[in-house]
Amino acid sequence: MTLAPAAKASWSRGRIRTLGLVLLLLLLLGFPQIYPKSYVMGVMCRILLYAILAGSLNIINGYSGQFNIGHAGFFCVGAYSEALFAMKIGMSFWAALPLGGIMAALIGLVVSLPTFKLRGVYLAIVTLGASELIRLVALNWEGLTGGPMGVKGIPAPVLFGLRISKATRYYYIFLFLAVLFFFVTDRVVKSRVGRAWVAIREDEAAARSLGVETARYKAMNFMYGAFWAGIAGAAFAPYFKFISPDMFNLDEGFNILSMVIIGGQGTLAGPAVGAVIVNFLTEVLRPVAQYRMVLYALLIIGMMWLRPQGLVGVSNSILAERKAWRSRRKAAAPGGAAR
Amino acid sequence: MAYYISQLINGICQGSIYALMAIGFSVVMGVVGLVTFTHGEVIMLGAFASYYAFAMFGNHLLVGILASFGASFLIGVVIYKVCYERFFDAPHHISLLCTIGMSMLLKNLAQILFGPNFKPLLEVLPNRFYGVGSVGISLVQLTVIATVISLSLLLFLFFNRTRWGVQLRAVCQDRKAASLMGINVKLTSMLGNCIGCGLGGVAGMLLAIYYQTLIATMGGPAGMKAFSASVLGGMTNVPSAALGGVVLGVVENLGITFTNASFRDVFAFLFLLGVLILRPEGFARKLGNRS
Amino acid sequence: MRNTGRNLVAWLCALLAGAVVAGAATPTYRIGVLAPITGSNAEFGKGFQIATQMAAEEINAKGQMTIELVVKDSKGDPKESADLARQFGDDSSVMAIIGDFTSSCCMANAPIVDEAGLVQLSPTASNPAYASMSKYCFSIMGRQDGEAPFFSTYLLKKFAKAKKIGVLWVNSDWGKSAHDNLVAQARKDGLDVAADVNYMPDEQDFSSAIAKLRQAGPDHVILMDQGPVPTIINQIAQANWKDVKVTTLGPGTSAQILNLCKQNAEGLLLTTPFFIDASNGPAKAWSDKFQSRAGFPPTVHGACAYDCTYMLAAAIKNSGSKVTRESIQSNLKNLKGFVGLTGPITFNKDAGDVFRKYLIIAVEKGQFVRKTDYSYAN
Repeated sequence: MTLAPAAKASWSRGRIRTLGLVLLLLLLLGFPQIYPKSYVMGVMCRILLYAILAGSLNIINGYSGQFNIGHAGFFCVGAYSEALFAMKIGMSFWAALPLGGIMAALIGLVVSLPTFKLRGVYLAIVTLGASELIRLVALNWEGLTGGPMGVKGIPAPVLFGLRISKATRYYYIFLFLAVLFFFVTDRVVKSRVGRAWVAIREDEAAARSLGVETARYKAMNFMYGAFWAGIAGAAFAPYFKFISPDMFNLDEGFNILSMVIIGGQGTLAGPAVGAVIVNFLTEVLRPVAQYRMVLYALLIIGMMWLRPQGLVGVSNSILAERKAWRSRRKAAAPGGAAR
Repeated sequence: MAYYISQLINGICQGSIYALMAIGFSVVMGVVGLVTFTHGEVIMLGAFASYYAFAMFGNHLLVGILASFGASFLIGVVIYKVCYERFFDAPHHISLLCTIGMSMLLKNLAQILFGPNFKPLLEVLPNRFYGVGSVGISLVQLTVIATVISLSLLLFLFFNRTRWGVQLRAVCQDRKAASLMGINVKLTSMLGNCIGCGLGGVAGMLLAIYYQTLIATMGGPAGMKAFSASVLGGMTNVPSAALGGVVLGVVENLGITFTNASFRDVFAFLFLLGVLILRPEGFARKLGNRS
Repeated sequence: MRNTGRNLVAWLCALLAGAVVAGAATPTYRIGVLAPITGSNAEFGKGFQIATQMAAEEINAKGQMTIELVVKDSKGDPKESADLARQFGDDSSVMAIIGDFTSSCCMANAPIVDEAGLVQLSPTASNPAYASMSKYCFSIMGRQDGEAPFFSTYLLKKFAKAKKIGVLWVNSDWGKSAHDNLVAQARKDGLDVAADVNYMPDEQDFSSAIAKLRQAGPDHVILMDQGPVPTIINQIAQANWKDVKVTTLGPGTSAQILNLCKQNAEGLLLTTPFFIDASNGPAKAWSDKFQSRAGFPPTVHGACAYDCTYMLAAAIKNSGSKVTRESIQSNLKNLKGFVGLTGPITFNKDAGDVFRKYLIIAVEKGQFVRKTDYSYAN
């Protein structure tokens, strides 16, 4: 068996990848020292924030094949949770942060529960409706959320007496969360749970016939993705110091979705790449902001035409199929098979 | 009492606009077989087409109807070519994402071309009122309801009495069988899509006349309402979609009377989620085997 | 003949030298302008843009300093405004901000400008809670706990002799403060607040709100908003509600009302702290100049933006040789004896806002007509 040489080859490839990641991490850590301009730091913060948001959406869309287009709702829940905990009962940022994630995860469970029997499109619409409902609750429940006037003056996190409010310092919070997200998600995706998700994505009926409890894993998947979106929201609220319901509308949801589609679904790097590209374009095209949205739209359409799994998406999967799987197999089998 | 009656009339009028949007959406869904996110933007483009037509040719309703139908019809061709033609055999999420991209494209192009501000649309119809005191119906409301009814009748005649209509229904029911019968499925699908879009465009014009204003971002909420309404009928059944539209309009307006105007969209979404969760395939008998 | 050539060269050299010296002598100060150039309040945002530009050009022509305006479109959206405020804060060459238009945007920006130590001088934010949010927050419009009670006591009760009123207000920071102050005073004045309906910003369809108001049978309705007011007036007319008098607080003498409502605006009553008509000579010249640039006549909002620019210039001048964000703040706070286009302006002792006097204006024959005098309320 040619096991030994194959093992050696993949080991060195893995080593190179790890080394590359460590270098990237060191570069990111040192970035503020190299280029401390506030504006650049602001952009980096935004990229890291969206890397987490897009990454968490990718868990749902790219790893389990469920179709969620209402991710802004979970982002909203996390942000409002943190803001309200901090302002109404004076909770510290470090306690409110995981709570924001947990609140979002609970909402994720509520959203996914009635939808197990729904197929692709219907689930998408329900997620859309749920996202809008969350925003509308924030908009109308004035007593709790301040309604359309939003929550102003959210207190900055304090670490060992140091107030973290300028972008240059807040960058480290975002970096820490992003690294944590990727590390944990990498572990989860490679575990049994992750493999169940991929099985569900590729062929749900087959997965079920092999004993995978699809309902349970789908729910876990939704909760996991929602959790990290909530964490991102909870980190975002004190950074921006002000949140209002229209920051979490459908357009924001489509913004996050476009990062996943353009960057890639089904891989960990994909959404990160998407976040970098989209936010980079945002800054470069700021003087002609309307054309930027046109460009994203064209990129999405282009991706669907040419490479549905995205730039760095997973290629050997149903996500990459442009023709339905069955018709491809029919074409491959000579003379067409009778089924 | 008078208040509730006038709210009911508001509801029926708005409901009929929703019904027209939902009818267009159902036609597209039924014939093409794929969900579209672009219907809202088609509605918006129809409204703008009528706005410019009124500006160029004067305030005649027929001019507006022709302009909005025609413009949306043509946009339907573009949407078909970009989002549907390639993807009939592909997994559904690809065309869905394509339509999401298309709707973003249309919305932002509209904001660039037409400007991002509200545009007023005044005095298309004279401001007449028929009734007693506050209970009655305005000319605008009557015209809206009449337009929707006549267009629905025309659609019915088209589907049942013309050859093209029969072909469309056949494609709706079973694409493979239809193509075996010699029907040009691609062309028919495109025609169905364009008719549905055209109807949506006229609905857009009616929205603009009713609210006396239009804006490039009006497509989003309109599309959601169209969706909510047509889900009631399983997304492909036209009469149920119309009924869904009227029910949605009435529910919204009556709901607002008991709560606050800002709850309008809450009712629409609760309605949508309720129907989807309770009975996703809708309340009508299925016409074909579309999922 | 030969000498003219040499003389010409000499003249040109002198001019060039003069220009160089002049350019080197006047320092340039960058001032950010936040305004809703697009969106439902675009008329007022453009008013900001043009009025501040006019003021900056006049100040620059005097030669003592050069004001460079950095105009950004906040779209009337607090999120966008906060983003832009943050950018201004991070840009150390920006010395102060003129803007934003709505109280919502200004209040959202308050913690950001406070952090950055950057003055936010709003021409129009009138929520009484705004200026006390930070020592860097200023506004010269006049607080809603001044205008709304005036509206109730003098316009509604004394001038219009209203008995039963219906209030329709936009649910925003500004709308809420205007509504709360109006209703509180109305109750004290003995007016019957028969209906009280609000709506979300960006609402387009007011038919159900109007029906709710109508059901209560008021004799006067008060519309509290800015940009959407013409639409509401038209929808009231469309609902065939003829036996009610329409009044409005918020848009001032907006040209949009006359353009979009035409006949439907006849008889409309409103308040404003500033109005230009034949009796206000020097302001008329300014108004004509504004109109020739903008294509529409100015409202009090644009005039306030004009005054803001001059106030900042005065604060810069008073800072002497060392002009910093901090020096602008302290000199602005202590600015005494400033008289602008809109009248004398001195900030209140404990917060950076002002109280104003008001006028009552009516729409007659498609024009705005002043109905009362400043002394009416005294």
